Amino acid sequence: MKHKLIRSQARAFAETELAPIAAEIDRQRIFPRDVIARMRGLNYFGLQVPKEYGGAALDSISAAIVVEELSRVCAAVGLCVTVHNGVAVYPLLQFAGKSQKEKYLPPLAAGEVIGAFSLTEANAGSDAGSVETTAVKRGAEYVLNGTKIFVTNGGVCDVALIFALTSSPENKLQSSVFIVESRFPGFLRGELEDLCGMRANPVSSLFLEDCRVPAENLLGKLGDGMKIGLATLDNGRIGVAAQALGIAQGAMEAAVKYAKERQQFKKPIASQQTIQNYIADMATEILAARLLLYRACELKDAGAPFGCEASMAKLYCSSVASRVTSLAVQIHGGYGYSKEYDVERYFRDAKVTEIYEGTSEIQRVVIARAILTTPIL
Amino acid sequence: MLNIVVCIKQVPMVTELPWNEKTGTLRRDLAAGMMNPACKHAVEAALRIKADGGAKITVVTMGPPAAEEVLREALAMGADRGILVCDRLLAGSDTYATSFVLGRAIGREVPGCDLILCGAYTSDSETAQVGPQLAEELDLPAVAYAERLEISGRTLRVRRLVDKFRETLEMEFPALVTVSMEQYKPRYASFAGLNRAFAEADILSVNLKRLDITPAELAAHGSRTKVRRVFIRKTQKENVLITGAAANAAAEFLDKYQRKISAVIGKSIEAKKQT
Repeated sequence: MKHKLIRSQARAFAETELAPIAAEIDRQRIFPRDVIARMRGLNYFGLQVPKEYGGAALDSISAAIVVEELSRVCAAVGLCVTVHNGVAVYPLLQFAGKSQKEKYLPPLAAGEVIGAFSLTEANAGSDAGSVETTAVKRGAEYVLNGTKIFVTNGGVCDVALIFALTSSPENKLQSSVFIVESRFPGFLRGELEDLCGMRANPVSSLFLEDCRVPAENLLGKLGDGMKIGLATLDNGRIGVAAQALGIAQGAMEAAVKYAKERQQFKKPIASQQTIQNYIADMATEILAARLLLYRACELKDAGAPFGCEASMAKLYCSSVASRVTSLAVQIHGGYGYSKEYDVERYFRDAKVTEIYEGTSEIQRVVIARAILTTPIL
Repeated sequence: MLNIVVCIKQVPMVTELPWNEKTGTLRRDLAAGMMNPACKHAVEAALRIKADGGAKITVVTMGPPAAEEVLREALAMGADRGILVCDRLLAGSDTYATSFVLGRAIGREVPGCDLILCGAYTSDSETAQVGPQLAEELDLPAVAYAERLEISGRTLRVRRLVDKFRETLEMEFPALVTVSMEQYKPRYASFAGLNRAFAEADILSVNLKRLDITPAELAAHGSRTKVRRVFIRKTQKENVLITGAAANAAAEFLDKYQRKISAVIGKSIEAKKQT
């Protein structure tokens, strides 16, 4: 009952506030600040933040449902919310010290401050160990230098978690994570990226040019970068899976509606067995994807390891999103290839879910490693 | 502090549901439930009164156990307490039986209630009767189809839209008002509110026994109406083909339909005929 109400509230919001603008903000690459402002008081930016920091303290399935419902209508806004909650707020909840939590969580949970997560660089994508951004300690500060690319929320973020190379006391290079505010000197943003999908999200590069960060903004311990990165990506994958699932759901609903309306050979195309087969496959795969996603959420809430299942959910939900959106365009025929219909946008938005937060190829690496190293019971 | 009761109802989420042809009732099992839209406006009206001058808001619904959901939604929006009136014997109640039972439940469980708000009508049956009938049961002054409420002291001023004019009426508490969907656009429940509505909700479930309603009494106040037949109204659509040159066809189209179009869009579109 709680999950149903969470879904109906998020759905009502998405259909009322986002549906009328989704196509336009995609076309014009507009980040819808006024809608984002309306989402603040409703806890969209503090989905799983504990009450004492002003969040909604939702369980993981509820949080996934919220992202699903936003993405069902407007994936770019779903992306903003899931990145903020899943990979900016989550690592703070897991690894920040008390004073860091007290300083950063309340404004993040209230949505007054938008978060981003910055690992990717020109030469460090799937190979996260190849980060070249450096952080050198000078007195009570770290000085950061480097360039981060494809930063979701990059154009609007007020706080970004930056992965950078630091030296250990033994002079060994290791990665660490810093909480970097956009107002720190030396923090610069690049132009917004002109991407295939998710165009209403202000994805950009971030330049750190002698960016001075107070030493107390080190997240976790020095050298914790890889640990924080992997834990964060595990959680982020649940978010991307939810996004992909929402896109697939939206595309299927559009295709079903169209198939019932569109007449060819003097009857609705939904009466053709080929179209029925498409719809049956879409619906079956979407339900399987949803159950896999909720399984990962359940494990996470139970405090059990969930990385393997999160990767499975991300891998499967994103491939379902690609297949379903492609079929939805196919069912729409020529109209589906036109911007007049939403499925064209869904089709473009779906592709990146197979790429970011770990490509499908990397998910298979993660899953296979887990299967091969876990004793079979 | 005002003591407000808002009566709310769970209705099917879609309007065109198949029905059981034998009993003439809707197949409610086929649809997910939601809070009736006008009831949501009534909850919003109560929440605005609470924000202005303070109030304790009790939401009351009569329905199956699953109807508890609309109580939780109202609690998430900001109501303080919920009462679910639920008893197998109440299945199939008409508006007369419903208002009798609701009247008893409010009298017993919310003594000293100042104001009762209802949605003006429901999206499933649209009789708009329960509010006024409930006022009769409790012998309260009532105004239906209200679009704005103002309170000063113990006086309630209600503005409502009737046909083509607005009238403003005043009455003293206790009173009953049914709220239309003109104003009081309902707020979204926050996720924190929803979480709280499940973790710390104050919901009381009452059955007929608790309300001291005996089967004999229920029979005496039971449903007086019976649904004889349900049918879908046939829509009167026809396709009209206007042929000829575009300019002539457009002129003919406007000649034939400009009054209808004007009526729909609400302004005159006198055609400027080209000669």
